[in-house]
Amino acid sequence: MTDQQIIDLINTSLGEEFELEKEDMKPEALLFDDLELDSLDIVDLVVVLEKAFQFKIREEDSIQEIRTLGDIHRFVINKKKQLNKQ
Amino acid sequence: MAWPQSIRTKRLVNFLLIPLMNLTTLPLMLLWTTVGILLFPALFFILKTTAHWDAEQITRRLIWVYGRGWLAITLPFIRSELIGIKHDKIKPPCIYVANHLSFFDIYCLAVLPSFNVSIVIRNWPFKMLWYAPFMHMAGYLNIEKTSWEKFSESAAQILSKGGALLFFPEGHRSRDGKLQRFYSGAFKLAAETGVKIVPLCIKGTNTVLPPDRWWLKPAKVTIKALDPVDPKSYAGFSAHRLIKKNVKNMMIQGLNEMDFDTTLGNADIQDSACSS
Repeated sequence: MTDQQIIDLINTSLGEEFELEKEDMKPEALLFDDLELDSLDIVDLVVVLEKAFQFKIREEDSIQEIRTLGDIHRFVINKKKQLNKQ
Repeated sequence: MAWPQSIRTKRLVNFLLIPLMNLTTLPLMLLWTTVGILLFPALFFILKTTAHWDAEQITRRLIWVYGRGWLAITLPFIRSELIGIKHDKIKPPCIYVANHLSFFDIYCLAVLPSFNVSIVIRNWPFKMLWYAPFMHMAGYLNIEKTSWEKFSESAAQILSKGGALLFFPEGHRSRDGKLQRFYSGAFKLAAETGVKIVPLCIKGTNTVLPPDRWWLKPAKVTIKALDPVDPKSYAGFSAHRLIKKNVKNMMIQGLNEMDFDTTLGNADIQDSACSS
């Protein structure tokens, strides 16, 4: 899976789950302020990512540092790379 | 093609109704609010000493009466239709979820079969100084400024006492009349407590008072209660997501079935077309 395919899958999955407009889904978009997600949505977001990429991330500390959509892209790309190395 | 004489007359009447509605109802609403605020302490004291209800229930009952007052004031100008509202199956304890079109929605929900409803709202309505003390006293819940754990504890307590909660799951008023994305709070609470969800479809309040307009317009308002959804039929960690999707689909369908032009003249025209 290329980085772009990962980004596309993230955007499609989150777009469908949270009914986000495509034009709003910019890497710099803040999850709370720009995409208007709330704390409950973040729990669902983790579930959606785990289902889309078939990995577990809810225990990871670095997930707490995610602020933007771009942070999610980078987080998942790094996670996939780590898993591929193992 | 020229409009028939009867339709032109109706349009003219509606044109005249707008200033008449605003010149009569706005001052009356202001008066009713002032009277309500001034009378509240005395009524609260009387009910507390005679009926022995708790403070939240008394305040909710008085707010319900206040809402009914608003509806009575607007009655000459708003033709309302209630569908399924009186039915026993929508009585509390339950979680009402309604689409949100207008500030006026809150007052319309005084038609619900119980006064014992706590509204779940975001932070900004608590900044309306003339309403905030009553909202606090009625135990309205601020979902934006409370942690989920604390919120769900307070909500479960209201439901366990036989009360109801009212959510606007879109979070804010729709600008185009269409359903917006739903937030999860109501559905997560239903999944956690097992209390039924009652979807409410509102149509027409955005003709009366849309966002960004302060004056009122006569309209036909319809409120329809859909069949309750039992959260116990959904299982698993993501049950609330499934409930949310199901309820939203039901509401989209319910609103589509209610699709009509809500401006009073056009509704009349449509009604007469239907009856002919």
